[in-house]
Amino acid sequence: MKEKIVYGLGAIAMLILVRDINVIAGLPEEMQQGAIFKIIFFHVPMAITAMIAAAVALVASVLFLITKNFRFDSLAVGVTEVGLAFLAGNLVTGSIWGHVIWGEWWAWDARLTSALVCWILYAAYLMLRGAVEEPTQRATFAAVWSIFSFIDVPIVIFSIKWWRTQHPQPVFWGGGSFPPDWTKVFLWQMLAMVLLACVMTVVRVGQEDAQRELDSLRRTAHAM
Amino acid sequence: MHFHTIPLLIAQMATPDDIVREAARLRHNYEFLSYGLTVAWVILAIYVLLMVSRERKLKREIASLKAMLEDRQK
Repeated sequence: MKEKIVYGLGAIAMLILVRDINVIAGLPEEMQQGAIFKIIFFHVPMAITAMIAAAVALVASVLFLITKNFRFDSLAVGVTEVGLAFLAGNLVTGSIWGHVIWGEWWAWDARLTSALVCWILYAAYLMLRGAVEEPTQRATFAAVWSIFSFIDVPIVIFSIKWWRTQHPQPVFWGGGSFPPDWTKVFLWQMLAMVLLACVMTVVRVGQEDAQRELDSLRRTAHAM
Repeated sequence: MHFHTIPLLIAQMATPDDIVREAARLRHNYEFLSYGLTVAWVILAIYVLLMVSRERKLKREIASLKAMLEDRQK
């Protein structure tokens, strides 16, 4: 039953995303940047989803260190991996946008660099997990690394306020504005991305639980 | 002369070269927009495929280990 609900929600998220492609294509071009501006409907929701995932990973890691409950460790690894996929999408779409508007694929400004560092830190989290054999030690080291990695998240978010960057100020909370129909599409995209990330996380957490069951079976097999 | 007639006059002054350049700029914009959207979808699709393959592998390994343990207990 739980599986059906999860996959149903995933299907709804995918349907919204597919429908939005059609809606986005029908929107008028932005006055200064033209059609490429519409990439914002993927670039920004992916970034916000990745940042939410990092926050959830932080909370799960802290809770694991307090309770030593492995469910929190599973949640931390699941949400980190999903967040990493979304952050990768954000970086690549941003690079394509930059190529058209700035004439270069990458700029080493504070926003882009801190976002790349964030991706590397969370990728290192996954690599660290692969390098430690003992489950409790692995979960503890990973939780500490996840908390340390989160330091970069506020830097990514506020870098455009703290330093002069090539990356522009955000449309929302940055003095810009969207026409109402654009805002509606943006919010649908945001909802679909977050829903998709939730579904992916639930599936991934289930896999982490299955992996623990597999490890336990292996230990039993060795002991027999 | 009213100010609102100025854009109309400028539009009438556009040369065929300007129109070709503008069309190329629009094409370039749409081309890269489609790349961006495709890449975003491909990244998510690859991740989903990786999760599906991991799920299958885990289920297979758990089933084979359970069967092995049951055999040993007999």
